Amino acid sequence: MLKEVGFVDIRIGDPVDTFGEAGGEKKARQFEVYGYGFLARKPG
Amino acid sequence: MSTSTPVDPAALREEVKSKYRDVAENPHGSFHFHTGRRLARRLSYDTSVVDAMPDSAVESFAGVANPFALRPLEPGERVVDAGSGAGFDCFIAGKQVGERGRVVGVDMLQEMLERSRAAAAQMKLGHVEFREGLIEDMPLEDGWADAVISNGVINLCADKRRAFEEIWRVLRPGGWLQFADIANGKPIPESALRNIDLWTA
Repeated sequence: MLKEVGFVDIRIGDPVDTFGEAGGEKKARQFEVYGYGFLARKPG
Repeated sequence: MSTSTPVDPAALREEVKSKYRDVAENPHGSFHFHTGRRLARRLSYDTSVVDAMPDSAVESFAGVANPFALRPLEPGERVVDAGSGAGFDCFIAGKQVGERGRVVGVDMLQEMLERSRAAAAQMKLGHVEFREGLIEDMPLEDGWADAVISNGVINLCADKRRAFEEIWRVLRPGGWLQFADIANGKPIPESALRNIDLWTA
């Protein structure tokens, strides 16, 4: 979707165990939910 | 990150408001996600910066990853935080851009705006301000921002394309979008996607 809007130079960071040891951990594990950093640039 | 719109956008927005109003008013309550300093450590924020911040600026933080991990902001930059919540990432951004820069946090929830404005005043951050608005319709002029940050918000938007198009509008040419969000490795059943309670559960 970022590409469709026009963004370029898209990068995705390493996964982060956002929900580990939290109440939502079980559901997060079930669907392999992790947090990520995303970077993209609007062309100049 | 799912890109479809399986739920009513207005109903989802009200559900999100209800959940995060609770985070604003009861930051030490029981949620399905971590909050505050514990979460900031888990997400690898700079502890020397976070430790120097008052509790009022940290305790309602409820992000999902670190939007500064792939690109720290540069001094003097103009930054928008789309869905700024209690302001935690705006305060980190304010530190990175310095007093020559500007940071505008946009949030739809009055309770979060009150918290973030009070914390900014407590920290005497005159270059960090907060405005009421939706991520899909932000109160900023075209091309104002050198960078747009966001943390755990876009996944809660029913129309993600609209959100990205609005971010595109407020960014200057050459500007950066650096956001944090969750993504699932296994497909979520259609029935679950249509259950609005599960979007914030």
